[in-house]
Amino acid sequence: MFVIVVGGGKVGYFLARELIGSGHEVALMERDRLRASQITEEIGSIVIAHDGCEGKYLGQAGANRADIVAAVTGDDEDNLVICQMAKHHFDVPRTIARVNNPKNESLFKHLGVDEIVSPTRMILGSIEADIPVHELLHLAVLGGGELELIEAQLRAGSPATGQLAGALELPDGCSIFAIIREERALSVRSDTELREGDKIIGIGRTECEGELHKILLGEDAANFE
Amino acid sequence: MREANAPVFRRAVIALSGGSIDNTIVRLALEVSRQSHCEIVGVHVVELDWTQPLDADVAERSEEAQRVLDAAEGLVEAAHGRMESVLVQARDVGAAIVDEAAARNADLLILGLPYRTRFGGDFAIGRAVPYALKNAPCAVWVVREPMGEEPQ
Repeated sequence: MFVIVVGGGKVGYFLARELIGSGHEVALMERDRLRASQITEEIGSIVIAHDGCEGKYLGQAGANRADIVAAVTGDDEDNLVICQMAKHHFDVPRTIARVNNPKNESLFKHLGVDEIVSPTRMILGSIEADIPVHELLHLAVLGGGELELIEAQLRAGSPATGQLAGALELPDGCSIFAIIREERALSVRSDTELREGDKIIGIGRTECEGELHKILLGEDAANFE
Repeated sequence: MREANAPVFRRAVIALSGGSIDNTIVRLALEVSRQSHCEIVGVHVVELDWTQPLDADVAERSEEAQRVLDAAEGLVEAAHGRMESVLVQARDVGAAIVDEAAARNADLLILGLPYRTRFGGDFAIGRAVPYALKNAPCAVWVVREPMGEEPQ
């Protein structure tokens, strides 16, 4: 596979190195000439010392035959421009963008970026998982950002505690499929009784997060909206 | 007969660029070969830009490349020597030549360097020679054209 990585920071550098190690053809674009030359010294002549935001240079990097363009600069605006140009001007089959500000995720999706990766959201999810807050935890973003894998820990007063899973009126497009109870994973059936302390694992559309929160954990804690 | 104190090499790779300096480095390699009976490998690199895959069929450019190799082979034959010709497609000439020399376990790499100047008059050494000097595992000889031979 031929992959163009735009952005020669830490992410771009290690991404390119791993891809080369896996036998892929990689071109890395880095506009800073000094950094570009450092990377060339370290991983060979795969670096194009130009700005990937400019169509001319993206073309020179071989975007016309690229299977994937991954825009991983530290600038969301640049990453968006790169992916849009790759997609619409060079017909690149798959574009991947690093999104630093989680608020930009939906914009990237709407503007046609195939996959978005948000390190901020990942770290946030990881922090949330380690802190006993009574919120919905975001475990992963699926389906290109439209779906989220979530976790909710039931408390004594949570509306779902004591109910049968089948009795919950979940929003359309959402489902719960597993429970972690006393360090064991159980699958959820309609007659499964939900108990205090259960960690409910579910999947749902991003916009249903608030409603799901209300049904599982209650109104009070849903003030995050 | 080998001259006293002349270095002994087993395999010399020469980088053929297609320029007039090729004549000089071929003759030099023949002289080295005469003295130390080393093999000569003539390498010409066709540099491909990123718009083409490395295994692309670049027939038109390869004809030009073949002309470069043929010219070098002609010189070698006229001197009753032997040379293996190699055509390589790569992204970067310097890296490709060094890789080829390393892969063939060469103990001498000979490169030609045309005398060129940048706008303003500064000498331009290019990228391949510095790369080879820095990275080639074997001995590197660089033959620079005399000043004033730059094409007008």
